[in-house]
Amino acid sequence: MRRARILTGTGLALALAFCGTGAWTYTQARTDDALAYGRERDEALADGREGIAVLTTLDAATRQSAERSIRDWRAVSTGPLRKELGDTEAKAGSSARGTVTEAALTALDTRSGTAKLIATVRVDITPAGTAAAERPSTDRKRLEAVLARTDEGEWKVRALSAVPVAEEKGGEER
Amino acid sequence: MTPTWLRRGSAASPNSAEPEPAESGTAELDSAEPEPAEPGTPEPGTPEPDSAEPTPVESGTAEPTPAESGASDPEAAAPRPPNGRLRKAALAGTAAVLVFGGCGFFYAAHQLRSEAPARNQALTDTEATTRVVGDVGNALARVFSYTPDGTAAAERSASTVLDGRAARQYETLFARVREDLTDQRVTLSTRAVRTGVIELDGGRARLLVFLDQTSRKGEGDAEATTAAAQLTVTARLDGDQWRIVDIKAR
Repeated sequence: MRRARILTGTGLALALAFCGTGAWTYTQARTDDALAYGRERDEALADGREGIAVLTTLDAATRQSAERSIRDWRAVSTGPLRKELGDTEAKAGSSARGTVTEAALTALDTRSGTAKLIATVRVDITPAGTAAAERPSTDRKRLEAVLARTDEGEWKVRALSAVPVAEEKGGEER
Repeated sequence: MTPTWLRRGSAASPNSAEPEPAESGTAELDSAEPEPAEPGTPEPGTPEPDSAEPTPVESGTAEPTPAESGASDPEAAAPRPPNGRLRKAALAGTAAVLVFGGCGFFYAAHQLRSEAPARNQALTDTEATTRVVGDVGNALARVFSYTPDGTAAAERSASTVLDGRAARQYETLFARVREDLTDQRVTLSTRAVRTGVIELDGGRARLLVFLDQTSRKGEGDAEATTAAAQLTVTARLDGDQWRIVDIKAR
């Protein structure tokens, strides 16, 4: 009887210890800074990619669609860029569709909620008017964006610029 | 834990079937009279007042007697059979729940640690990220920079920093342009202006590199043209040096 009791006691204690260790391990993983940082990085990258694709796209087939595109721009941007884009006048013209072919974060500060991202974008431009007659031209761009995390935890584009080719001063070679 | 069990086990002996009916009795009391409290409790030792204040008073009054029997443990085991099974089941259930919960926690933790964001060390491991960025930038600068007479140096660098498909690509490229290079006295210098690590998983990495390539034809201060190039580079850690195994233009 006593042995049985000791056995059950030990068994229970072991089970409890097992569960406790599991819970501890889980908490550890849940609160791991590196893991949280990694998740944040992937979120920033995904949001940034999407943002850049939207910002390099303008459907200007009609005035209405252009307005819609500009509204989309405002939705993915923040700060001065958003203001600037909001002032854009919507009018029918050439349309562009941007596709992010590759993107990577170059910096991420989770505490201040800022990130830097570089991306290569393919932009297909369809000239205004008779779309069928003219073939869309394709342009490849390399862009750099500054992202900021909003209060809702979403990353938005704060600044977007092309990475220029450096001016060569002729003193580079040995 | 044990004391509770002990107490409950022993206390249960007189009123084993007690608490439940008493409770239901109280519930019904509102509508009916004390009557219902009786049928479920044939036990003689039970005092009447169940109906009013069932359990707490009950255990309070019942306590002293079993406490004595509780001292001599084995005796308390006498009424065990009906009770013991329940207790065993409860114990087994608790243990099972604990083990199950533990497994769940471990599994969830494992999931968290092994999912994609966790395995990718780009930026999370600052040191490794800086290293791969530096190594790959240097490697590209070296293999894509040459002077008309110094293509051999570039090719030599290539053999140390390129590997696999990238090495083959480089060879075919160079075989095609080598003569032109010397004929036209082309000087090329390459610089990585931006490098971002897309993926870094132990000894493998994928990077996005923006290059500026400045070329000059002929001798002296000929007009230099700078072109932009964007590459996705796959690199592998070989010993303590990153070697480029694949290059794709973007």
